[in-house]
Amino acid sequence: MRVLLRLLAALLGLAIAAAGLLTAVEVGWAWGRPRHRYLLFDWPYWVGRLRTLDWAGQQLHVVAWSVAAGGFVLVLIALFARRSPVVRLNDPNPDVTVVTTPRSLARLVGSAVRAEDGVAGTSVSATARRVRVRARSRLNTEDQLLDRLVETAASAVGNLPLPRKPKVSVVVDSPKDRS
Amino acid sequence: MSTQSRAALARSARGDRLFVGLVGLLALLAGAAALVVGQGWLGQFRAGRALLDPIAVSWLAGHADLARGLAIGIGVLLLIFGLWRFGRALRTERRPDLLLDTAEGAGLTVTGGALAAAVAEDSQTIDGVSRARVRPVGRSGRPALRITLWLTEGADIRAVWEELSTGVLSRARESLGVDELPTAVRLELDAAQAQRVR
Repeated sequence: MRVLLRLLAALLGLAIAAAGLLTAVEVGWAWGRPRHRYLLFDWPYWVGRLRTLDWAGQQLHVVAWSVAAGGFVLVLIALFARRSPVVRLNDPNPDVTVVTTPRSLARLVGSAVRAEDGVAGTSVSATARRVRVRARSRLNTEDQLLDRLVETAASAVGNLPLPRKPKVSVVVDSPKDRS
Repeated sequence: MSTQSRAALARSARGDRLFVGLVGLLALLAGAAALVVGQGWLGQFRAGRALLDPIAVSWLAGHADLARGLAIGIGVLLLIFGLWRFGRALRTERRPDLLLDTAEGAGLTVTGGALAAAVAEDSQTIDGVSRARVRPVGRSGRPALRITLWLTEGADIRAVWEELSTGVLSRARESLGVDELPTAVRLELDAAQAQRVR
């Protein structure tokens, strides 16, 4: 998204510069040499077109919708080209900022939970506010595992120097619970 | 937390976002205004007028020199503005040097590359760090550091965090003789090594 934003910013800058240059050159040319029709851009033709089109016309309708839609897309791109979210850790010094990625936090919790007995696999999603763990087990039921896994996940999160602890929630997925 | 260390986390896209957002907003408003006029919400008479309105054209013809001068001026301003935004969008992020002493004849500069390489080498000695990338960013003369550390699986993040602040960064501050060295640190946990099935 950020690459797209930079590319668009460069292209729009270039387009604005080209439009400005063309305007200045054509107006100057028409001013200095009134007998020549135009230099680069056939503006007399467009003046003729614009005289015949009215605001209610179908063509203008299409152009106006396209311009508005294009503008809307640009606004959306500008709004969504944010920094990827990070998880803040405590600052060890006033002039040091430490962050980690949500993915790293999820990996940390996932590997801690997987190390527990009876856990066959995990999937973890993490943000700075919330860590959700889904553990799969073949041999144990949710009742047998849940308390232990919650404690493991919470202590894995608790070991980190986080300014605010995310909420930890654990779900155990086991075929034993379905029978 | 200082704002400088926080700003060093990632390259700022504020200028580009503002520019693209404003251009988009202008296009959106212009298109919407044209549709409003075309629908006849500002009067059926207005909707039926030509795009290049004869009243406006006759006004321009009456003030021909002023209109031409303005058009050329605006064109030049747009050219400058557009080239400026183009250059800003394509410019790579600077790697500023650290000016330790600006005295005449006795200036002392630590190049950004040297600073980054020294801190990166020191960071890699921390237990649990598999790879370190360091880059000077920010103001010229007083750079901030952007450090990315990749940690091996099972690394103790709290220990790394402590070693970084009490060890690496304080050593860097001491050896450079500066009071503060704004730093943004990003810790990335490596994925577990894939186990080969035998």
